[in-house]
Amino acid sequence: MQLGKQVFLEAAEPQCAICHTLADAGSTAEIGPILDQLKPDAARTANAVRNGVGVMPAYADTLSDEQIVAVAAYVAQASGAN
Amino acid sequence: MMETIDLKRRRLMTSTAGVLAVTGFTATTGTTAFAQQAAPPEGSTPLPAYVGAKDADALIVHSNNTIELKREAMGTSAITPETRLYVRNNVAPPAAEILDDRDAWSVSVEGVGEPRSITLGELKTLGVASVAMVLQCSGNGRAYFDHSPSGTPWQVGAAGCVIWTGVPLRTVVDAMGGAAEGARFVTGTGGETIPAGLDPLDIMVERSVPIAEVDTILLAWEMNGEPITLAHGGPLRMVVPGFTGVNSIKYVKTIALTEAETEAAIQKTRYRIHPLGTKGDPSYPSVWEMQPKSWITAPLGDHESGRIQITGLAFGGINALEKVEVSIDDGETWTDATFVGPDLGRYAWRPFVVSADLKPGQYTLVSRATDSEGNQQPRDFEPNEAGYSHNGWQGPAVSLTVS
Repeated sequence: MQLGKQVFLEAAEPQCAICHTLADAGSTAEIGPILDQLKPDAARTANAVRNGVGVMPAYADTLSDEQIVAVAAYVAQASGAN
Repeated sequence: MMETIDLKRRRLMTSTAGVLAVTGFTATTGTTAFAQQAAPPEGSTPLPAYVGAKDADALIVHSNNTIELKREAMGTSAITPETRLYVRNNVAPPAAEILDDRDAWSVSVEGVGEPRSITLGELKTLGVASVAMVLQCSGNGRAYFDHSPSGTPWQVGAAGCVIWTGVPLRTVVDAMGGAAEGARFVTGTGGETIPAGLDPLDIMVERSVPIAEVDTILLAWEMNGEPITLAHGGPLRMVVPGFTGVNSIKYVKTIALTEAETEAAIQKTRYRIHPLGTKGDPSYPSVWEMQPKSWITAPLGDHESGRIQITGLAFGGINALEKVEVSIDDGETWTDATFVGPDLGRYAWRPFVVSADLKPGQYTLVSRATDSEGNQQPRDFEPNEAGYSHNGWQGPAVSLTVS
């Protein structure tokens, strides 16, 4: 979870927190969906991070697979999806 | 150009003309997984503050930026009330303060003989026109693709029919010396704030449409008789009749007649119809003109046998609607539907109805629209990676049990 949170707040470029609200991460931006409401599961999150969706860029070339899996698991848990 | 209601064609439509002959029908059982009105993803997701005045019971809140109208709440009166109109924002709306002094809102008009900024107050002095049109997200119907595309799984409710009032873009362009030589596109830019740390080209809502649309585009300040709300692009919206929703730019702050399409991602790589497994790029078609489309709005649940009114909504997209047919046996046999209410022009939708006497059994209700050029909804719409522009008639089928 620690790696996932670190990716969410720091490693991803641009950082997830610039656009998404996620209470656990202390972010309040509303460019993209509020993750505490959307509650995406890990598979949906990983797919969005890898391939991009809507305004969201694809991170497949800038994050390692380990980082993507970690941030997906973190978002799923922190948002309450599982 | 802007069309008005043809008074000669106005008449009260009765629903007795199109009674289906059901004698001999064998009720069929559909083979597809029917997506009836789905439950909200998170049953109690609240409405965001900027749409707090909307009718929560009529809406599905997919996220703070994506809100769908329930199929059973679409009505049979052609016009969609503001309180029920769907919302799709690519980027969070600007602060509500931009509506404090509507007439002071300024839009920069470029690519004309005499480019300059003009206020909404001055635009109101140049001309006025109205258009009724279907506003529909390119993603409407994404739920009906089998490949589970990323993005909001809209069914039929990312669509509404509204009346916009404003000044024709043609009038504004003519007042500013006409289009610059070589202009091939109309490019509108939204007034959202782009957060620091992001590449504006990745985020900005800026869309280009062919220059021919300069004759139909309206710079609108009013929707359904009221000043446009923030949720729907007030104080000023560039509306492109017959085109998908993404092209109608909310809180428009720049309108440029350009030689090339914008380089913004929302134009260059997004909102492109590209094959499964590929990435979007400018070589693929953009989601511009809408195609004929329709769906059933009632009945949606179980029903008692006897006389029943099957209603729905249909539109031609970029062309006028020619006809709509209804089938109660999943497309085996079709009956012409009767239009309900006035014809609001080629860009609007029309409610339709078919009366039927249904015996107990299982039915599969579908509808099929044909436009004035003979384009007809296909049974299925070929899948594309991002799940845009679905207009197949089978996807939104309604499974009906008559007892």
